[in-house]
Amino acid sequence: MREALWSELLKIRRSRLPWLTLLAFTVVAAVCGLFMFILADPARARALGLLGDKAQLSGADPGWPGYLALLAQAVGVGGLILYGITAIWLFGREFSDRTATDLLALPTSRTAIVTAKFALAACWALLLAVWVCVLGLIIGVALGLPGWTTPAIAYGLGRIVITGALSSLLTTPLALAASLGRGYLPAVGVMFVIVFSAQVIAALGFGAYFPWSVPALYAGLAGPGQDRPGPVGFALVLATAAAGALATTTWWRVADHTR
Amino acid sequence: MIGLGGAKPVIEVDGVVKRYRDVTAVDEVSLRVGPGEIYALLGLNGAGKTTLIRMLLGMIAPTRGSVRVLGAAVSAGDRSAWARVGSLVEAPAAYPELTVRENLELVRRLRRLPSGAADVIDQLALTPYADRRARTLSLGNLQRLALAKALIHRPDLLILDEPVNGLDPAGVVEIRTLLAGLAQQHGTTVLLASHLLAEIARLATRIGILHHGRLRAEHRADELDRQRHRHLSLATRDDTAASHVLRAHGYDPHLDGTGLRLADERALSLPEQVATVLVHGGVPPTRLVTVEEDLESYFLRIVGADHA
Repeated sequence: MREALWSELLKIRRSRLPWLTLLAFTVVAAVCGLFMFILADPARARALGLLGDKAQLSGADPGWPGYLALLAQAVGVGGLILYGITAIWLFGREFSDRTATDLLALPTSRTAIVTAKFALAACWALLLAVWVCVLGLIIGVALGLPGWTTPAIAYGLGRIVITGALSSLLTTPLALAASLGRGYLPAVGVMFVIVFSAQVIAALGFGAYFPWSVPALYAGLAGPGQDRPGPVGFALVLATAAAGALATTTWWRVADHTR
Repeated sequence: MIGLGGAKPVIEVDGVVKRYRDVTAVDEVSLRVGPGEIYALLGLNGAGKTTLIRMLLGMIAPTRGSVRVLGAAVSAGDRSAWARVGSLVEAPAAYPELTVRENLELVRRLRRLPSGAADVIDQLALTPYADRRARTLSLGNLQRLALAKALIHRPDLLILDEPVNGLDPAGVVEIRTLLAGLAQQHGTTVLLASHLLAEIARLATRIGILHHGRLRAEHRADELDRQRHRHLSLATRDDTAASHVLRAHGYDPHLDGTGLRLADERALSLPEQVATVLVHGGVPPTRLVTVEEDLESYFLRIVGADHA
C-alpha cells in the first residue's frame, strides 16, 4: 500500500491537476468575497448595476455567517465538478496514457493501487476544503465582515469541510465511469449528467433523497427555511461512495483488461 | 506441441479459449515454454497474439482452459509470479509528465526493489535521456524505456509484445543481442509476439504460428529451413522441348511464367544432373537456380488456407 501511495503521489505532484484545482477553488473563494464586498456596501452594489443584482440573488447576508455559508454552497456545487475531475483524472489517465497495463501484473496488488488513488483523491479534496476555509478567513478579515463569533465561525468552517467531504465521497462512481469507459470523456459526460440531475432533482424538492444533491442542500443552497437532508440523505451518500469504491476495485481486479 | 526434454515448463497453456460474444479471439491454444527458451508467437494483426499475452499476464481471464506461469496458476487475484515476470504489452507507454528516471523509479517502488534504476538505464542506453520527460522521447527511446521497465527486476520470464517496434536497425540488433544474452547467460525465458518474421527467425529458439486464434504450427527455429519449400527454377531457349527431355528422364517439370520449375528431391539435391540431361538433350539451360521459399511466403502458406 505504501508503494502505491508513493507512486500515486509522485504522479499527482508532477501533474498540473493540483495547481488547476487549487486555482479554481481560489477563484471560488475570491468570487464569494467579491459578492460580500458588494453586499456590504449597498451604494456600491447599486453603482455596479447588474453585478449588484446578481450578488443579491445569492441570498447571502453580508457577514461572516453568510459568507461562510456561501463558500460551503460553492464547495457543494463546485466540489462535485472539481473533485470529480480529480477522480476522473486519477483513474482515466491510466487508460488515456495507456499505462494501465503497467499496473496489472505487479507484486503490488491492483486493490492497493485503486485504494491509493481513492485515498489521495480524498486527502486532496479535504486539503482543498481547508484551503477554502483559510482563504475565506483571510478574505473575510480583509473585508472587515461583521458578525464574527467563535461559534458562528466554527460552525461555518465545519460546514465547508463537511460539504467538501460529502462531495468528495460522491466521486467514487466517477472513478468507476473512468475505468469502465477507459478514459476521461465518458466519465466527464457522466459527471455533467449527475451535476445537472442534482440541480433538477433538488429544485423539484427531492434533493434530500438524491445523493449528489445532498452536499449542496447540507450547505444551505436551498435557502433558509428549507429542510436539510436527514439521516437517509447522508446514508445514501455513504452507500453511493461505498458502492462506487467497491465496484471500481472489483472492476480493476476481475475485469478483462483489453486496453 | 514440441516437447521440452523433461524440463519443467515456465509457461503452460492448456486448451485456452477466449470468446467475446460471437468472436473467438483465441481458440484451443496449448503450448509449453521451457526455461531459457526464446519462444516467438508469430501472427498477423488480429491473430490473437496480444489476447494470449494478456491471458498469460492475468489481464484477461480465459473463457476456457488454464494458464500457468512459473508454476503459479494465473488468475486476477494470484500475484505470486509477478515478482519474477517482466512484460511489455502492445505499444510502449509511460507517464508523460515524469522523467525516464522517475518512470523507472515508480516501477521500482511498485515492484518493491531495494536498489535504484541506474543499471537498467545504462543497460538500455537511456543515460542521456534519464532526466528527460517521457513525453519528449522518440518512439524508439519510449520503446527502450518500456523494455527497461520490463527488465528492471531481472525477471526470470520476459513476456514481450512487439519488442523491437519503433527501434532503428542498430536498436533492433542491440535488443536482439540483449535478449539472446539474457536467455543464454542468465537462463531468462522469453516469450515474444511479433509479425516481423526475419527478426523472429534470428532470435527465437522456437516459433509458434498463430492464425485466427489457433496455433497453426510450432517449429524449432533450427528446423525452419526444412519446413520452407525449395524448387529448381530453370530456363532454356525452348522450354517445351526441355520439359519433354526432363520428363523422359523421370523428372516432373512444370511450366511457369518464367521457365520451368522442378520441385522433386532428386532435382534439388543434384541440380548439376539436370543441367547435364538438358545439355545432352540439346536444350542447354540459360538459367538454373535453386530458389528457397522466403519466410514471408512460408508464413503465408501456413496461414494461407484460411487467409485466402
